[in-house]
Amino acid sequence: MTQTSANKYRTSGTRALRWLLVSMMFFAGVAGAAEAGRGVIAKAIVLEDAEAQAKAVESLAGNTEPVTRDLLTAWKEGTIYIYTAPDGAKSAVFLGSDADAEGNVGVTSVEMGEVLKGVRVARTVLDSADTDSGVRLAMKKVLDVFALSASDPAERLRMISEVGLAQDETELDALQARFKVETVGDVQRGLREAIALIELKSEDAGVRAAAAGRLGAMGSIPSRDALTALSADAVPEVAAAAVGALAAIERHLNWVNFYGTLFRGLSLGSILLVVAIGLAITFGLMGVINMAHGELIAVGAYTAYLVQNLFSTGIELSPFGMKISIPGFGYTGSNLDTYFIFALPLSFLTAAAVGILLERTVIRFLYRRPLESLLATWGVSLVLQQLFRLTFGSNNVQVYSPSWLSGNWTVFDVILGWNRLFVIAFAVAIIAGTWGLLTKTPLGLLIRAVMQNRQMAACMGVRTERVNMMTFGFGSGLAGLAGAFISQIGNVGPGMGQERIVDSFMTVVVGGVGSIAGTVIAALGIGVLDQSLQQILLNPVLGKILVLGGIILFLQWRPAGLFVTKSRSLEG
Amino acid sequence: MRLRRTLGPAEFAGSGAIPNGLLLSPSGAASLPTPVAHVLSVCVSPNHQSNTYSYMKLRTFLGTTLLTGAAILTTSIAARAADDTVKVGVLHSLSGTMAISETSLRDVLLFTFDEINKSGGVMGKMIEPVVVDGASNWPLFAEKAKQLLDQDKVAVTFGCWTSVSRKSVLPVYEEKKGLLFYPVQYEGEEMSKNIFYTAEAVGQQATPAVDYLLAQGKKKFYLLGSDYVYPQTTNLVLLEYLLSKGVPIGNIGGGFKKDESDKIISAGKYTPFGHTDYQQIVAEIKQFAAGGKACVINTLNGDTNVPFFKEYAAAGLTAETCPVCSFSISEDEFRGLPAKQLVGQLGCWTYFESIKTPENKKFTTNFLKWVQAPKVTGAPDADVSNIVKEGRVTCSPMVLSYDGVYLWKAAVEKAKSFDVDKVTAALESGISFDGPGGKVTTQKNHHLTKNVYIGETKADGQFKILKSYPNVFGEPFLKGTFKAKTAAK
Repeated sequence: MTQTSANKYRTSGTRALRWLLVSMMFFAGVAGAAEAGRGVIAKAIVLEDAEAQAKAVESLAGNTEPVTRDLLTAWKEGTIYIYTAPDGAKSAVFLGSDADAEGNVGVTSVEMGEVLKGVRVARTVLDSADTDSGVRLAMKKVLDVFALSASDPAERLRMISEVGLAQDETELDALQARFKVETVGDVQRGLREAIALIELKSEDAGVRAAAAGRLGAMGSIPSRDALTALSADAVPEVAAAAVGALAAIERHLNWVNFYGTLFRGLSLGSILLVVAIGLAITFGLMGVINMAHGELIAVGAYTAYLVQNLFSTGIELSPFGMKISIPGFGYTGSNLDTYFIFALPLSFLTAAAVGILLERTVIRFLYRRPLESLLATWGVSLVLQQLFRLTFGSNNVQVYSPSWLSGNWTVFDVILGWNRLFVIAFAVAIIAGTWGLLTKTPLGLLIRAVMQNRQMAACMGVRTERVNMMTFGFGSGLAGLAGAFISQIGNVGPGMGQERIVDSFMTVVVGGVGSIAGTVIAALGIGVLDQSLQQILLNPVLGKILVLGGIILFLQWRPAGLFVTKSRSLEG
Repeated sequence: MRLRRTLGPAEFAGSGAIPNGLLLSPSGAASLPTPVAHVLSVCVSPNHQSNTYSYMKLRTFLGTTLLTGAAILTTSIAARAADDTVKVGVLHSLSGTMAISETSLRDVLLFTFDEINKSGGVMGKMIEPVVVDGASNWPLFAEKAKQLLDQDKVAVTFGCWTSVSRKSVLPVYEEKKGLLFYPVQYEGEEMSKNIFYTAEAVGQQATPAVDYLLAQGKKKFYLLGSDYVYPQTTNLVLLEYLLSKGVPIGNIGGGFKKDESDKIISAGKYTPFGHTDYQQIVAEIKQFAAGGKACVINTLNGDTNVPFFKEYAAAGLTAETCPVCSFSISEDEFRGLPAKQLVGQLGCWTYFESIKTPENKKFTTNFLKWVQAPKVTGAPDADVSNIVKEGRVTCSPMVLSYDGVYLWKAAVEKAKSFDVDKVTAALESGISFDGPGGKVTTQKNHHLTKNVYIGETKADGQFKILKSYPNVFGEPFLKGTFKAKTAAK
């Protein structure tokens, strides 16, 4: 608690300072120019009455000074604090980041934009300046003006569609003026949509009908509610145009959902594939029923968590009552984002090492006794889970997604999440790598030889023990990679492996034990089927049940899965 | 009521350490004078939890070996104890799936007992906590409740988290005329004369949240929850409430399930515990929210919130375009969630740690200080050995437990008796306490009148309070009450 709040104050302090530096540099040239916004906001913050605050903020409407935008944003985000001077006078301040030994910091007055000399206060005694919903609404009105001409196209687009959806005719001129100078394609489309939406409210029936037609042709999903309202229009032509437009949008939506489902199915399939590919090697090729596969995934995920902490604040662990504390690099922003690039190979290596250890100590004695390997690895999985609990606690840990994995492209109204695109590319790369390793390298040749007939390979002088170890390590490493990826989309906790193990076995068995190609096709097939059923039934539970039921029936029909592998090691 | 994670065999397997710790605890020893009856009653019960069973076996062994010594020791203690202490039961899961949530409540209860004992106890008697472990095992909750009432003869019990554990102990408390204080938000539709619900009823969380969202100009509501009794019931009540507020049924998203007579029996979208794939649901919400003025009412539980909010953020949905108002995420849950993805989203509770009142400042400071060196004054036997010290926060269920203890104390002092009937009568007469979340007042229907707050989540896991509704009446029976208004419209 104290730790987190201290961190929070530190970051807000730095942010405030950075903001201050930027704005100072910006205004150095126009020093002396009146900054009406600054005074108004500084006074508004210390007002006791929320309504008076809202009035003061509203009075800034039309103010275009950047300082107004920055101060309002800081106020909204809670980085402005209220300082009470010894004489009882209150003033709005930013906190400095120059904490001394007692944890006291200097403060910067919002009104003057200067550091208050000789004032040092403890962070914890100051309250941040609050906003209530009325003030926030007033802020929004002022900030919206900035947003319409914001330099960031995405911000501009957001504002434009908001104005369009409000269908306020007084905004029409501003939008049309913007349309004349707008150069970014997406924003142009947004402007056309917003203008048409506002024109739906026009007095002129012809304009209304034409606007409805344009929205229909655009396949504008946001305008569905407005068009539904318009379909009850008194003028029959307008109502007919609205109905026609709605039908056109509906057709567009069907295609959007079709492609969307396909994409989501591919991405779900890729996750299944990434999770199952390691098992396809250890179980499929080697015939080891490894119930600890899920925990190897968790090893990868926890490795990603450790790398993340190493890059930011440092690692603090207390396993078995010991205290482990490793200072971190203290990176933030895009530097911190790079942690994931390092986490991927490290999670492969860590999980591979754990896998090799497992193979050397447990599994190698059980190659001929699959049932016992099932029990032994089940035990190992429980031990590993308990180790995770003792080391990392039974709560889930938080793994932060790099900014380049937490956005999306919207193409044809289908959301293509970057994390989803990444998992698809990742799956392709892993499959290519695995295929290359198995078919193009000497190690791959040895692996295939040993897996086909262990005794014969040994007779030919292959060190089968070593090949077994390497193969198991490789399969485990792939599980670790999967874990690192899952940390980006789901939970990281001691029980995470258990959630994945059933899916993994299911994929491998459906694909046909021993066949990598089968695993690929099974994963994608299950993924697309699951998402299609969800889309059609609009019920995630029923979809999953149907998929599982389908798999049971499928295995009745083809017990050996999609691709039957003829392998002596499996028969024996 | 709120289940954080699905029950997996591994969870139980990994939970052996805590009961064993308890076994060695003095509070375990305090119940030893009659251990044989207790152990027998537990061992013959149809208990399928293997680890609990083995713990019991171990307990039998230790119980019998320690019996002789303990009996001699405790007779003298008990003789003294009867005069100046009062036994109070604490019935929470200290192992198993729910331990992660419920141990916080155990901690805050011990803290409260310490605070009360330091200032003289209840009617001059020191509170002597009897802590038992429900082990996230619902039939075991009933067993433990029996033990508390029959053997320990506790004056009152504070406990339970999930609705199913409450339902499991309810017949025990009714039969044996005990008194239970229940502190966690729940779905209502229940009122036992032997239970006092300090918890948020639906009308103290869900409907004020909808009022707030309507005032913010929201016109479309998407209902999403975990598939069990609390979200299902809450959403049905919300559906009626939204319709009564003039929101057309077409503006309520998530889908409906109807029975043969076309009556809606389930509203909203539900996912099982442990669900990980929210792509399709988020795509649906994105289309639902495309027309603006939309929001999501989220009753998802525990860690299924993580994949949901990650997907939500990745799809470009934000608190500004389509806010999510969650009913099951408090400061305590936040410790396991990606704070970044939740910033700006809404929560609704009757207490937030960020409330700026002297009572709350005192409560949070004292509690955080207490966990660093926990002890219970007047009850040196209380086990405080496994109280977590790092990263502690306070949240609504904790404060409602705290309020419950003080309300009980006030009722006892008003009734001048520990007798359950007299205390209940005193509680029903309306007793107020200025708690950390503001003033709470007991009602005749065994619920509390209290303040409701809407808060916005911040990156540090705290809530910024946006709006408060003072003195909201606690009404458990809401289903069907909003229909008349719809018909009148």
